[in-house]
Amino acid sequence: MDVVHHLFYGFSVALQPLNLLLCFLGVFIGTLVGVLPGIGPPGAMALLLPVTYGISPVGAIIMLAGIFYGAMYGGSTTSILVNIPGEAASVVTCIDGHQMALQGRAGPALGISAFGSFIAGTLGLVGLMLICNPLAEIAVKFGPTEYFSLMCLGLTILIYLTQGSIVRGLMMAGTGLFLSLIGQDIVTGSRRFTFGLIGLLDGVGLIPMVMGLYGVTDILLNLEKIADRTITKIKTQQILPTKEDWRRSAWPIGRGTLIGFFLGILPGGGIILSTFASYALEKKLSKHPEQFGQGAIEGVAGPEAANNAASSGSFIPLFALGIPPNVIIALLLGALMLHGIQPGPLLFTDHPDIFWGTVASMYIGNAMLLALNLPLIGMWVQILKIPYKTLFPLILLFCLIGVYCASGNVFDIYVMVIFGGLGYVMQKLGYEPAPLVIAFVLGPMLERNLRQALIMSGGSMGIFLSRPLSAASLLIALVAVVSATIPALQRRRKKVITEG
Amino acid sequence: MITSRRGKIEGFFWFGIGMIICILGWKAGLGSFQEPGSGFVAFVSGLLVSMLGLLFVFSGDSSKVLPDARSVSGQAFRGAPVFLLLFTVGVLLGYGLFLETLGYNITTFLLMWALFHLFYEKGKNRLVLSFLASVATTGVTYLVFEVWLRSQLPHGIFPWW
Repeated sequence: MDVVHHLFYGFSVALQPLNLLLCFLGVFIGTLVGVLPGIGPPGAMALLLPVTYGISPVGAIIMLAGIFYGAMYGGSTTSILVNIPGEAASVVTCIDGHQMALQGRAGPALGISAFGSFIAGTLGLVGLMLICNPLAEIAVKFGPTEYFSLMCLGLTILIYLTQGSIVRGLMMAGTGLFLSLIGQDIVTGSRRFTFGLIGLLDGVGLIPMVMGLYGVTDILLNLEKIADRTITKIKTQQILPTKEDWRRSAWPIGRGTLIGFFLGILPGGGIILSTFASYALEKKLSKHPEQFGQGAIEGVAGPEAANNAASSGSFIPLFALGIPPNVIIALLLGALMLHGIQPGPLLFTDHPDIFWGTVASMYIGNAMLLALNLPLIGMWVQILKIPYKTLFPLILLFCLIGVYCASGNVFDIYVMVIFGGLGYVMQKLGYEPAPLVIAFVLGPMLERNLRQALIMSGGSMGIFLSRPLSAASLLIALVAVVSATIPALQRRRKKVITEG
Repeated sequence: MITSRRGKIEGFFWFGIGMIICILGWKAGLGSFQEPGSGFVAFVSGLLVSMLGLLFVFSGDSSKVLPDARSVSGQAFRGAPVFLLLFTVGVLLGYGLFLETLGYNITTFLLMWALFHLFYEKGKNRLVLSFLASVATTGVTYLVFEVWLRSQLPHGIFPWW
């Protein structure tokens, strides 16, 4: 009953006119970002972070969260119609979704994708409500030792599950950690690693860094493939799936929801991994696996449900522990911290409006997305027709304006461009930016907890092994790193990553 | 599998980066285990990076899970549009350089003209089209960000703009 009572309170927050408008803006922009290849949710969220300065923290999180799960909906549109995934979590939808479109069944593919996303997103929220609060009650008892070890574990799992090599991932994390230390020492207040540059006195900005690594880098990478897109013609009245489509999709949606929700909690590629896991499971369970890849509706319903349930699940580590499992949630963490709010177990008692308001807004947002994605599909198709040559300069301009408006400092434009260039080189050489960004966000918390733990223990590293949760976390992290060097486990990881 | 020569170069690069971080951490003050200083965590992260760099030098990338074949075959930049890339990065840096001097409208117009001109196909109308698109973009964004959102964009040496 407590949950129901809190949820009603959440709705009273989310249904305030301004929050309702922000929710709509968030899901609208999210769908747009999902539809348009070239800018992903992290870039869009970084772009809009400065806009949130003037609004309440709960309004800011409602809007930014809307962009996140909105992009999960929108990403399927390009996958089905153009065979280009709007974002990484929709890659697997291309396989059968586009085949359905080529067979003249784009409507049911888009329809089941939207309905499946709605059902999974809504059920995922129920899980979020039920798990978050009890987990937070346990997490209240955690000290700096547990937090430090949990952050190390989160970072290691992220690197383990991220595509690319573990060594490179660790190097990225080490670099991100160092970058996060630039500026003011959180304990002594002294300045460090600023190299005499005034622009670095407050540290490297999260917004220019993310905008560079995701926004500018995406554009630079896409400069190589400015190509024409062919869009399958569909009619709006064809959108609704048939009874047979529903019969075939019901179980895949249910299974996708479960897989997505639990994998979404994992740091790193949990969301992307869940879509491939769902696809692989449906293919395995199907009586006609040969239809997969030829336009099987189960191959659309399962993964689309999985990525939306995963987006709900990924909020759990943020709200219950204050630890972001992926870059997008790291940006939400950054947004909360910009408003002076520290996410974690105390959020439920100190700022219940933020957790319950956000959860309630997500129910509303999911319903809005259903309305946005079905009747307005024609509009999204028209947006897809905007040529890259017009789109790219506009995205670059929005990045520049966003970065400048966030700080009013030209230095941040340089930071963004430098990270954009570095991001391009990194991606070309097989270095993923996600470990760098997560380490950058976690860096100050990691440092504070490490230093506090060492001061508490009188300098003994044994404190990290004397507490059960801390010792277990560090042990799992160690096993993850070591396992990547064992040939048999290497092959298994490679299989998981290439399938996922 | 990573080519050994490239692996060594990358390894030495990261070893160097790690050592620089270590030195910076040491200079900032390591403190002690009982009371870690400002540079303690930086030193540890530098140590991690340099050790991983050495691992690259001596044994290559031991995990070898690199799905992008081009990134490991020494052809990572083959076919990259070098001029487009350098031009784009150059105009973005130029934007930062001139934004506060020339003001938002002039700098944005010049940036957009350069980018549209670069991306639009060659033809009789390229110059006119890119000019019109730049004027429209500058005008609309000025209206949205300066007039409606009051973002305080720089006016530069022409304060009446």
